Amino acid sequence: MRVRVQLIARCVLGFVFVYAAWTKLAQPWERFALAVDSYRLLPEWGVIAVARTLPWLELLLGLLLVAGWQLHYVAPLVTALLAGFWVAMLRAYLQGLGIDCGCFGVGQAVGPATLLRDALLVVLAGFVTVEAFRVRRASSASAA
Amino acid sequence: MRTAFWLCVLLGLLALAVLPAVAQQGKRFGALDAPVTVEVFSDMQCPACAAYHLETLRPLMKDYVATGKVFLTFRLTVNHRHSYRAARYMNAAALAGLFEKASEVLFEKQKQWSETGDVEAALASALTEAEMARIREHLDAQEIEQAIEADRALARTFQVRSTPTTFIRYRGETTPVVGVVSYAILRRYLDRLLEGSP
Repeated sequence: MRVRVQLIARCVLGFVFVYAAWTKLAQPWERFALAVDSYRLLPEWGVIAVARTLPWLELLLGLLLVAGWQLHYVAPLVTALLAGFWVAMLRAYLQGLGIDCGCFGVGQAVGPATLLRDALLVVLAGFVTVEAFRVRRASSASAA
Repeated sequence: MRTAFWLCVLLGLLALAVLPAVAQQGKRFGALDAPVTVEVFSDMQCPACAAYHLETLRPLMKDYVATGKVFLTFRLTVNHRHSYRAARYMNAAALAGLFEKASEVLFEKQKQWSETGDVEAALASALTEAEMARIREHLDAQEIEQAIEADRALARTFQVRSTPTTFIRYRGETTPVVGVVSYAILRRYLDRLLEGSP
């Protein structure tokens, strides 16, 4: 049962990551850079680095999640990434920046709905991580 | 004498042919045939709008609007305590052909007039008496209220939920940018768009 729930959870997360990557890669990276810059968190070089690499990283992690390969490395990375997004969004919301989250292209304001959605994704990623380590421990124990 | 006159006419025509047709009408700036259109919704009393205007839009005016690459339109929303009064003065300044100068003054002195609401004193501290007279002349014009209402209606139409909000239009595609973005990043996006323009 837990294995099946984990399979569904990582597939959901994987498709979310692939979709997020696709919405960003379908437009010039400079457009996504505007959304990153509006968070007022990074210097120019940081904004450029994130705008150019994050969509590819999201695509890679999404595909790895769906494939279920090296989950004990991929899942913690996904959890950390989502938690980082959530903190950045919360900061923007508390500062009243009124910006778009930039998560899936343009038009989604940072607000309670987007914060709740991302919090659920963090929880889901946390569950996949815990399960990945549990399965790994179990397989190590049975091998011994 | 006659030769000098015709030489001046010739030079004038040459300048018109070489320089882009820069239009500065009210709250609109730049060449009407510029490939990129930028529309900015600001509130004169919003601190983020002041930062955006002074740090991003000022260099944009110099590098992209004055060179005919961008046609820039300002829209004023009224969300703060003294925003309406400031919008009245700014629309009067627009009618007087002084929008750019007045906006610089009000954004630079925003902290000062935001406390007191004395927009006129802030403007008068930086503009000449003649310029102030031109602004006052238009303050009670019927167009002022119409302009404020038109900007409000547009903000509703475009679902502007916070300021500053910028709409960048190029070949029928619109990119909304909500919040403050740095000039360095904005210009990269504009350059990318302009790469594809004829």
